[in-house]
Amino acid sequence: MSSNKFLKHEGPWSDANDPLMCSDTGGWRTKRPVVDKDNCIFCGFCAIYCPIQIMEMVENSHFSVDLRFCKGCGICAKECPKNAISMIAEGDFQK
Amino acid sequence: MTEKKKGKLTKVLDYLKHEDPFSKGVAFCPGCGLELLLRFIPQVLGNDIVITGTPSCSAPVLLGQNNQSWHTLSYFGTLMTGAAANATGLARYYRKAGIKNTVVCFNGDGTAADIGFGNLSGAAERNEPFIYICYDNEGYMNTGIQKSGTTPYGATTTTTPLGSASKGKNLRRMNLGLKMAMHKIPYAATATLSDLEDLAKKLLKAKEAKERGFAFLHIFAPCTTGWGYAPENTIEVCRRAVKTNYFPLWEAVNGKIRMTKTVKKPQPVSTYTELIKKFAHLNEADLQILQDDIDYEYCMLGGLSVLEGECQLPVSSED
Repeated sequence: MSSNKFLKHEGPWSDANDPLMCSDTGGWRTKRPVVDKDNCIFCGFCAIYCPIQIMEMVENSHFSVDLRFCKGCGICAKECPKNAISMIAEGDFQK
Repeated sequence: MTEKKKGKLTKVLDYLKHEDPFSKGVAFCPGCGLELLLRFIPQVLGNDIVITGTPSCSAPVLLGQNNQSWHTLSYFGTLMTGAAANATGLARYYRKAGIKNTVVCFNGDGTAADIGFGNLSGAAERNEPFIYICYDNEGYMNTGIQKSGTTPYGATTTTTPLGSASKGKNLRRMNLGLKMAMHKIPYAATATLSDLEDLAKKLLKAKEAKERGFAFLHIFAPCTTGWGYAPENTIEVCRRAVKTNYFPLWEAVNGKIRMTKTVKKPQPVSTYTELIKKFAHLNEADLQILQDDIDYEYCMLGGLSVLEGECQLPVSSED
């Protein structure tokens, strides 16, 4: 019975050995967070409060947003103690 | 770059020792408090935890869709009526097999406070060695915002609507955290997302306490869609809930309650409700009822945290 195939998991649902699912959540965004590098004091509040955890440290000087997945909720801009992040409508970036 | 920019990084980042096991684009609403919580837990506790949970907002992501998954953690999906019983089985299996890991039973308030409370209470009584986390968004948000046992007075949901005959929920909410602390389990605590350092500490304490038995965490996680507030206010809502004593932060080790954050000058509850649309219709009298309820619960909590240890049994005087 060498042709028998054993399921790796008892549940019929999902298998994390395959590549993980990932949605294009960046497409949901109506407003885009823009980080003002000069005002950023590198406190990290935007990074810890970001629900998607996509604020990345850049050269120990400021944080940048991964725009592929940012849903544009605006928590980073609201929680920034220096107001160094501003939410700008996506339409303004259209050329 | 320049020197002045090197400010102090927040201490919370020190607690995030492990990788985020979730893929970046997952199906949670923008500004979802639950998403932050779900990504936070494995980053603090480690990626070797086993999560078991029930149908809820977290389930579509934790369970995966079709035959693909959103994350690399181990997850076991169960029914709402048997969440804690399933976690018991998992924890006992690992104990018998001699495998050291952490079982986390991750449920919403619907399972913890209403449907699955019976076996939650039973597991606490048997002192089973796992961590039970209830994320409290005050309603059945995944099925369309129905009211639950932790929905507060006055809140509108789809089953307690605003209209001529109904003005939101006309009953008080239950205090789930305190109920579980009364089981005298090794660790029970409340936490919220505005104070992530506190949350991380409590998660680590719960992991330590589960060596001795049951650990329960009641975590306040607002729902932007169901409550009707702007997505950027998620953390602000949590912060104001703490500042108004609407959701006080405390921990109970073996039933002994200790406040982990005391608010010196609690603000009136209106500073919290003004942010949220589900409370928008409340007038002064309704707010007073809500405020009285908050004061009552806070007084009780304060009394319990002081009296424990000093309390003496009343001696009957002989006539």
